[in-house]
Amino acid sequence: MNEWMKKSPLEWQDYVYKEVRVTASEKNEYKGWVLTTDPVSANIVLVNFLEDGTVAVTGVMGHAVQTVETLNEDNQEVREKLMHMFMPEESKAYNPEDLEKRKISLKSWLEKNHIPITEQGESQSTLCVAGVLTIEPPYGPEDCSSSNEIILSRVQDLIQGHLTTSQ
Amino acid sequence: KQAPIPIPVPVIRLPRGPDGTSRGFCAARGRDRAGSVAEVAEQQARAALRERYLRSILAMVGRPVHFTLHERVQVDAHFGATDLDVANFHVSQLQTPLGVQGEALLRCADIISYSFQL
Repeated sequence: MNEWMKKSPLEWQDYVYKEVRVTASEKNEYKGWVLTTDPVSANIVLVNFLEDGTVAVTGVMGHAVQTVETLNEDNQEVREKLMHMFMPEESKAYNPEDLEKRKISLKSWLEKNHIPITEQGESQSTLCVAGVLTIEPPYGPEDCSSSNEIILSRVQDLIQGHLTTSQ
Repeated sequence: KQAPIPIPVPVIRLPRGPDGTSRGFCAARGRDRAGSVAEVAEQQARAALRERYLRSILAMVGRPVHFTLHERVQVDAHFGATDLDVANFHVSQLQTPLGVQGEALLRCADIISYSFQL
């Protein structure tokens, strides 16, 4: 395992938003702004903003990285762009009555599908499925949290189906 | 008389770290023991970095991706998926020097870099 792969997450995080030059196996060289380093594989994701407006994304595999040299420490404009890259669009704001309606509607749909569901939290705004999955407002498929992949996938499909038919 | 059916135990699969032996997360830290400040900071960094990486992978799905492999081999394909440990890339329409392969699994150990455009 090379030096890069042995670094800690905090060291990898230190490179985020910086412009670097990465040398890799077989004399390959890459330059770009660091979006992230995967803590599992140590793959570095570099971003370059091309003149024609397109964005080029390059992933250098962790096992191939030889050196990483910082070229540029901070560029506020680049930082802003990288922060929002790949992030989902801001969800539109719902008022409390709409959220309550969505919650009730989803709850009865899940109950019809024989899914044990309860309301939780101080304001009873969180839905809890079988004690292993929670759904936060605004109760879309992306608002589910669970450590059980199978239940997560099933519930997400049900919510998606519910949203499609009720629209 | 039938033996009672065992109740399935929930399993959390966490990816391994790059060294191949760790689970990527500190196994010694119990659920009911809060980590030290340093441990928490490291774990937060790990989670933030991983989330960004997963989102970048998600953005690649279905897009044409260019791969640089060993021995100066370059190939293009449509990205499909990767696995939990980022050990393999599942691609389709892989354009190789010998022709187009409908579906293929590229071992990440064979890849030096990959790139795509937005």
